[in-house]
Amino acid sequence: MAPRPEGQSSVIVYVFRRLLAAVPTLWAVLTLVFVLVRIVPGDPAIAILGDRATPAAVAALQAKLGLDRPIWEQYVSFLAQSAQGDFGTSMVTNRPILADVGAVIPHTIDLTIAAMLIGVIVGVPAGVLAALHRNRWIDVVARLVSLIGLSFPVFVSGIFLLLAFALHWRIFPVIGNANLADPVDRLVKLVLPAATLGLVMAAYITRVTRSAMLGVLGEDYIRTARAKGVPWRRVVWRHGLRNAGMPVVTVVGLYVGILIGNSVLTEIVFNRPGLGKIIVGALNQRDYTMLQGLMVIYCFLIVVVNLLTDLTYGFIDPRVKQA
Amino acid sequence: MTLRRALLSAVFAATLVPAAMAAPKTDLIVGMAAQDVGKLDPHLAVSTIDRTVVAWLFNGLVRFKPGSMSPADIEPDLADSWEASADKKVWTFKLRHGVRFHGAYGELTAEDVVYSLGKAADPKRSASSGDFASFEKVEAVDPYTVRITLKQTVPSLLGIITNYGGGFIVSKKAVETLGDKFAAQPIGTGPFAFAANTPNQALELVAHKAYFRGVPKIEKISYRFLPSNASRDLAFQNGELDLEFGNQDQTWVDRMKKLPGAVVDVFEPGEEAILHLNQAQKPLDDVRVRQAIAYAINRPEILKFQGADVSRLPGSVIPIGNLGYTADNGLPQYDLAKAKALLAEAGFKDGLTLKVVHTQLPNMLAQMQVVQAELKRAGINLDLQVVEHATFHQMIRQDLSAIVFYSAARFPVADVYLSQFYHSRSTVKTPTAVTNFSHCTAADAEIDAARTEPDAAKQIGLWEAAQRKIVAQVCAVPLIETLQAWVHKDSLEYGYALKGSLSLGPLITEATHFK
Repeated sequence: MAPRPEGQSSVIVYVFRRLLAAVPTLWAVLTLVFVLVRIVPGDPAIAILGDRATPAAVAALQAKLGLDRPIWEQYVSFLAQSAQGDFGTSMVTNRPILADVGAVIPHTIDLTIAAMLIGVIVGVPAGVLAALHRNRWIDVVARLVSLIGLSFPVFVSGIFLLLAFALHWRIFPVIGNANLADPVDRLVKLVLPAATLGLVMAAYITRVTRSAMLGVLGEDYIRTARAKGVPWRRVVWRHGLRNAGMPVVTVVGLYVGILIGNSVLTEIVFNRPGLGKIIVGALNQRDYTMLQGLMVIYCFLIVVVNLLTDLTYGFIDPRVKQA
Repeated sequence: MTLRRALLSAVFAATLVPAAMAAPKTDLIVGMAAQDVGKLDPHLAVSTIDRTVVAWLFNGLVRFKPGSMSPADIEPDLADSWEASADKKVWTFKLRHGVRFHGAYGELTAEDVVYSLGKAADPKRSASSGDFASFEKVEAVDPYTVRITLKQTVPSLLGIITNYGGGFIVSKKAVETLGDKFAAQPIGTGPFAFAANTPNQALELVAHKAYFRGVPKIEKISYRFLPSNASRDLAFQNGELDLEFGNQDQTWVDRMKKLPGAVVDVFEPGEEAILHLNQAQKPLDDVRVRQAIAYAINRPEILKFQGADVSRLPGSVIPIGNLGYTADNGLPQYDLAKAKALLAEAGFKDGLTLKVVHTQLPNMLAQMQVVQAELKRAGINLDLQVVEHATFHQMIRQDLSAIVFYSAARFPVADVYLSQFYHSRSTVKTPTAVTNFSHCTAADAEIDAARTEPDAAKQIGLWEAAQRKIVAQVCAVPLIETLQAWVHKDSLEYGYALKGSLSLGPLITEATHFK
């Protein structure tokens, strides 16, 4: 068997170490989530049974849900179940949590990736162009547009897009719950929400790229490269952007993490299923088990995104890999 | 010959294609303000989202005539006849023959009815168990006969076993086979059967071909979860929905009425919003302060705010239309000078401040802000602690608010509202608590006496007397009654005139169809 290249095995060790380091983080999050959902006032039994329920019915449901057990007992059984990847069933619907999450996660991933792609494809070139033409009209337009993008809440820009593209021109539907088995339907229903979220992300990335590029373009190595006669385009994309890439990747990584759970407004406006929407629903219903399961899954996804971001650093800057 | 055949085929196709194109739609798409359904076990379905849909899946022994919620319109459903003993304590119901449950769960028998009513009475498996407190036993006399024996007479036995709350009949075999999964995969006898639920997206129902009233004309129902009011309205406007849950406000009604092909439904029950004044807290223990609040409330102003199409002025401490309701009860009418004089007399010449817990739900908050402005004119400041809705429900049950704003509709017989909101047994923070937030004790005797009074006229007299006493003690101040609002395409025919629905949504029956 051929020996594994040294670089590849070091990456595997690195990934393994990072995943191991995530265990205490996950435990801390589990504990925090367990405490937080119980600190929030509001009784799940009342939320489930409604206002006509007698105290006997409320007490009976609390016992059935295990809410009458000592807190430590609930905590231990929650940790034990989570460690086995068993998040149980929703207190409200009795459906398995993983099944509910599994049904919506493809929608969340679609939206997150599409928004990220739009953000990067629009934001990075716009930021570079703005930096290259500092204080000229291109820069002013890029800054102005990105400011507008950041200032518009998604529930406003989303409704505008719906009014224009769904009601006026009738290109896209208002109800965006796509049929996952139909790739065309999936894509069509992704366009407007991805554009809404992606443009906010693009605005953010434009500003970060512009400021990083401005910092890099003043560096000595850029001047040296130009003095050596390296073509300007190569100087910008190879020496400039690559070095300006770190803060951009950081922002993209952070933003993707935020997008996974925070796209709730976009999901609501475009009537899309998603993780964010389930979290809000579970919170309203005081669905402890669902909230706990969702938070653990969310935290796990954040850990994975952070890991991918860190690995990307290594590809952009070999010094990080060596370190 | 070939040419002739081709010509004939063309003529045949030409006549068939337009006919096929003109065939009415058979799939109904409904937009509901929801993230998802909760529990589709009818005995645990308490939210509007769940109640609306379980009424399409299940039947009761008796039912309200579709489109009505008047107790006078109760008619046979799974039972085709019944009789009561002279003392109204023993009721015998004869079941229809050949009623089939959804799927392979067989024919309905008395055993299913006994099981269902037993489950509905069990606090561990039902949110309506309180309604069955007077039931002594339910027995299957034979496969098609059920006998209910009561410990004491109740104001409306038929009301308890109608197609509402604990009255829905489930399949014993399905509940026992499916266990906890029954709430997600319900089995009933109704015109529509559960097909699938895609979490966060839609509940799909299909026609129950063996439905005892005939094959439903609608073949499929897609019950879509669309929580954003704005985008749900846009979807309706775009033709993507046939029927939509609406907003109980005038602006919405006016906007939807202008849409071509849209028919706005405004129907009973009216949910009565009431201020419950907590007499256990000072200074509301002083009747003059409570009277001052009652005189400071300007109901026509609240009505103007909410809109005349979707709301109406209340006339008593129970909703209009309840059996036993009376407007002849001495309810104080707006009189600011009188309110100020009463406050001064009670020692609050310079006004007073009350700490009030309230929900952040937009419609309820807006109404409470109108109340706050009205009371301020009299010198009564409401210090509103606005909290999330589930927190609000918990805090008001812990007796933490001086005034509780509560909006509710109940089964339309005075006993239910009076017992739950004004009987001392229902006082919050007691073992038998329901929703008596005011600690009202004014009419316990009348409410109890009415429940067992065999003479209908005397019973109504007792309920009217109870309302007068509650008004005199100023346990509560009625504000407004808000009706249910939905909108549907004019091509959709319900198959009945929609005046009211206890499930809070239009009933979709075997007769519902598209034109």
